[in-house]
Amino acid sequence: VYQVFENVAQKYDIMNDSMSLGIHRLWKDVLLHKMNPSPGTLLLDVAGGTGDIAFRFINYVNSVRERQLRRKLKNHQNLSWQEIADSYQEEAVKPFGDSQVVVCDINKEMLKVGRQKAQRLGYSEGLSWVVGNAEELPFGDEKFDVYTIAFGIRNVTHIDLALQEAYRVLKPGGRFLCLEFSQVNNPLLSRLYDLYSFQIIPVLGEVIAGDWKSYQYLVESIRRFPPQEEFKAMIEDAGFLKVDYQNLTSGIVAIHSGFKL
Amino acid sequence: MEAEAPVRCQLCPPQRALQASAALRRVSDEHKKEPAASSSQHQFDSHPTDQQPEQEPQGPRPSYTGQGGQESEDYESEEQLQHRILTAALEFVPEHGWSAEAIAEGAKTLGLSAAAAGMFHNDGSELVLHFVSQCNTELSELLEQEQKLVQLGETEKKTTEQFLRDALEARLRMLIPYIEKWPQAISILLLPHNIPSSLNLLTSMIDDIWHYAGDQSTDLNWYTRRAVLTGIYNTTELVMIQDTSPDFEDTWRFLENRVADAVNMHNTAKQIKSTGEALVQGLMGAAVTVKNLSGLNQRR
Repeated sequence: VYQVFENVAQKYDIMNDSMSLGIHRLWKDVLLHKMNPSPGTLLLDVAGGTGDIAFRFINYVNSVRERQLRRKLKNHQNLSWQEIADSYQEEAVKPFGDSQVVVCDINKEMLKVGRQKAQRLGYSEGLSWVVGNAEELPFGDEKFDVYTIAFGIRNVTHIDLALQEAYRVLKPGGRFLCLEFSQVNNPLLSRLYDLYSFQIIPVLGEVIAGDWKSYQYLVESIRRFPPQEEFKAMIEDAGFLKVDYQNLTSGIVAIHSGFKL
Repeated sequence: MEAEAPVRCQLCPPQRALQASAALRRVSDEHKKEPAASSSQHQFDSHPTDQQPEQEPQGPRPSYTGQGGQESEDYESEEQLQHRILTAALEFVPEHGWSAEAIAEGAKTLGLSAAAAGMFHNDGSELVLHFVSQCNTELSELLEQEQKLVQLGETEKKTTEQFLRDALEARLRMLIPYIEKWPQAISILLLPHNIPSSLNLLTSMIDDIWHYAGDQSTDLNWYTRRAVLTGIYNTTELVMIQDTSPDFEDTWRFLENRVADAVNMHNTAKQIKSTGEALVQGLMGAAVTVKNLSGLNQRR
């Protein structure tokens, strides 16, 4: 797994765009919308390599915070000078609020690409990049509000260990969100999808990234991943409650969500 | 499942330790006996130990088996937990409105992460529905108690008009703490995906009121009464949200007038009916008399 992603790191984003025809952005946006994080949330993004989820999270939280501030200002039309001065101070101290993202990945190359992207796009605060294995996270118990793993869990050798780790590091009331390829429930679409996956994707891999084998592996690992209901049962086994899933694009991708209650 | 234990502990902040933990434990204590015997499939044995909370003053944590034996119990606790979060969220409504933010704040007061608000819809619908159903339950209890007092003979039975007025006023008064954000709540209740539930709550409340008012009609009257009362309630609610008089006097006066109108109309309708009947009888009598006089009735 490590070597696959070492090869793939640099071209990861481009390949994502071309393989999913850019739809992966929409999928990730839906994930964030479902998460609906409030300012002050601590997010752990596992297998988050190039930081897509992390950046979206930061944007989302920022806009929520702006809206909140605007609403507060609207309600306080008659502020005294002292109050105005106080509010300026408060903003200077924590403009981003106290939301934080920790991006964890097993692969240093992916994290490096992610860090460069962050610098390029101008994300400076609230981000941490940590190397770690999803089956054995380098964090203490009950630290995070939300745990996400987008397109990463199928690459984990022991999925149940990863789920248990997720349960461990989440605070009570915390949420587990998993965005992953899943079984298509429409038979016609399923045939088209199979055709596309096995014929076109490895070719794209060869052409764009010069690597046929890695993308062959990718497609196979998608097929091997358990279907929605089975994965839901695995999540429940790890101890999560109110586990549910939402199919996107009729099952090509599914978002599973569970709560540690 | 072992998730039950964290539920118990983290959800009993010190000031509520007595009631909350007692409730959950009672539920779990019943099931303690069976799981204790079959404590085999424990993959999570390690977990309970590292999550021993310091704030849990009561006894040792029972061991739990996997999913099977606890399902009904967990389902119960999930709902209870959701209710508790929503109730806690109500106090943040004046500040944050009926929204996921208020629910997140409510979850935080219970010691849960704000992400728990993800259990509910993003638009705060569940919060409004929970509040409305809570108000309806309170109203039922109130009316039940009043009825008991009347049966015991301690208070006099009110006229229907007075009864309806008092019941509606009591119900509307429950909105007063949230009156500023109530327009938002009304708009949420009117969202298409909420209409079935909100309509349900509304009709059951009106049903309740008529039931305690002693309505026993089984004909068209049943529908008209409910329609009329629903109309009165909705219009009074709308008057209330823009009422600025002290203690909503204008609203209560409006309510009084509307109920009086409705009762008057009902009486008038009754009168018309009986007048009509009397009229018809009179005409019949006149016709028979004419027939007699003209000799048509005679037998030949």
